[in-house]
Amino acid sequence: MSDIAIDVRDVSIYYRILNNMSVQRSFFRKKVRSEVFEAVKHVSFQVEEGGILGIVGKNGSGKSTLLRSIAGVFSPNTGVIDLRGHSVSLMALGVGFKENLTGRENIILSGMLLGFSEREIEDKAQEIIDFAEIGEFIDRPVRTYSSGMHSKLAFSITAMLKNDIMLVDEVLSVGDERFRKKSLAKMKELINDDDRTVIIVSHSIETLRELCDRVMWLHDGEMREIGNTSLVLEHYLKFMGNG
Amino acid sequence: MDILTGIAMFCIPPLFAGIIHDYLRHGEMTAKRKVVFYAVYFVVINLLTLGVSYLRGVRGIRFDGMTVTYKIKYIGVGIACGFVIPFPVCLIAEEMITLGGIKRYSVRFIKDIRKYLPYAVRSAKADLRSEVSNSYLDWMWWLIEPFCMMLIYTLIFGVVFHASEQYFPVFIFIGITMWGFFSRSVSGSVNTVRASRGIITKIYMPKYILLLSKMFVNGFKMMISFAVVVVMMLFFRVRVSWSILYALPIILVLFLFTFGVGTIMMHYGVYVSDLGYITGIVLSMLMYFTGTFYDVAKRIPEPFGELLVTLNPVAFLISSMRGAMLYGSVPLSGLLLLWGGVSLILIALGAFTIYSNENAYVKII
Repeated sequence: MSDIAIDVRDVSIYYRILNNMSVQRSFFRKKVRSEVFEAVKHVSFQVEEGGILGIVGKNGSGKSTLLRSIAGVFSPNTGVIDLRGHSVSLMALGVGFKENLTGRENIILSGMLLGFSEREIEDKAQEIIDFAEIGEFIDRPVRTYSSGMHSKLAFSITAMLKNDIMLVDEVLSVGDERFRKKSLAKMKELINDDDRTVIIVSHSIETLRELCDRVMWLHDGEMREIGNTSLVLEHYLKFMGNG
Repeated sequence: MDILTGIAMFCIPPLFAGIIHDYLRHGEMTAKRKVVFYAVYFVVINLLTLGVSYLRGVRGIRFDGMTVTYKIKYIGVGIACGFVIPFPVCLIAEEMITLGGIKRYSVRFIKDIRKYLPYAVRSAKADLRSEVSNSYLDWMWWLIEPFCMMLIYTLIFGVVFHASEQYFPVFIFIGITMWGFFSRSVSGSVNTVRASRGIITKIYMPKYILLLSKMFVNGFKMMISFAVVVVMMLFFRVRVSWSILYALPIILVLFLFTFGVGTIMMHYGVYVSDLGYITGIVLSMLMYFTGTFYDVAKRIPEPFGELLVTLNPVAFLISSMRGAMLYGSVPLSGLLLLWGGVSLILIALGAFTIYSNENAYVKII
């Protein structure tokens, strides 16, 4: 067994449903309640270097929250997420673009946030643009993009600027049929690279079955099962089938 | 009756402070804490207001024979304090400020600034480019806009109100340029986090970097305006002396101070959805107290003019800038250093508050 790349220990994440204050409400408020919603409850798992973990679960079971937390967008309320110094990038639908800027500028800015230098990105930029296949739109503001173009560009950026850990959130079904095949192929290429650790969140059972070494099943924020891909998926399907 | 209004005079301003405090803490205070803070504000605000009236020559308080104007003024000053004081108090009372914490955060701050500075610069450049790429007159707007503002103000205050200083158009232009930078950055900071929701929900970055990038954009525009100032100085044949070199440290302090205030407002802007309106009101009030189009020290009667220039950093910076560029006078270096130091403290307060809270931002917006 190789080294551990992602170590998640007893992680819980709450959403505090904070009442967004406004002046009027603070004048006329009677009593304040703040509710706590637990999105992820005491989840622990490890992924070894080069491993591919799939996460399944019904909508709202905390998959994306967990992924964002691993990406460092926010830290967990309790527990530890240890990436052992690996760099990480999150690939999600509608990646953070600045709407007013052109695709080209956004490539560079997102790349810089992913921890690359301006030089490195400029070297890779052409490759990214070619892969994204959005033609002349690359020099138009991102707000003019269709949602397909949006995700195509997003996918290309994260796919070409390679980080040690890739977190993939439902992006495998973007674009048209052709791009989907292409991105799946690219994905496989990236994933089969032995150094890269990947976590995939998806509702597409086939994709997971094809790509993953192991699968984790999250249910209402709790880890229901983790282990062999076909076994977990079978249980999951049975559970979903019964309602 | 007199006694009753007298008591109201003492009690109303702290009430305001209490409400603002409560508001900043998102209404999560227990009743006990509310009472404690009310008591604290009661003492602090009344001491301040009494101090002000002592300076004005009111020695001792007697309720009978107290004029209505005095009471109204007293409440006015108190409420003004009540609006401002809760901000620093909230910051200090909320955060565990320990030596170790300060050291850890400072190291992280410096490291992060180094790491993300290229991003902030690049993002500012891209924003500037996109801002003008679709407009007909392109970057000319950066010159036209402040220039027209200057014409308007010169017309209104020079011709209509007969306010005049030597080199009046340049005098005004420096004022609105610097004030514009400050006010745009601060009022923008309130919405920064919400506006960048698309990015920060996908990737981590220290949130003040967003503000920094925005300030680079505004700073760049300010520099263009200063280029216009230089041209105008040539046109008006202003006699320049070595003191013009002070322009650089003055701009630096202005930048630091704006960044400090901005980070603090940015933090509260996340939680308080209508803070934008309050900042708008406070800023436009401040604009008139900053002497954008008149000389504060000369126009406001003694001792308030001097006091305002000393206590309002933006007013101080603007008048020093005018002195340095137009009238060959050297600014008070001590005061400049002092405000520089205060700015650094504000930045530390704001940035550290952001550090300890930024994880929660994403969950709220």
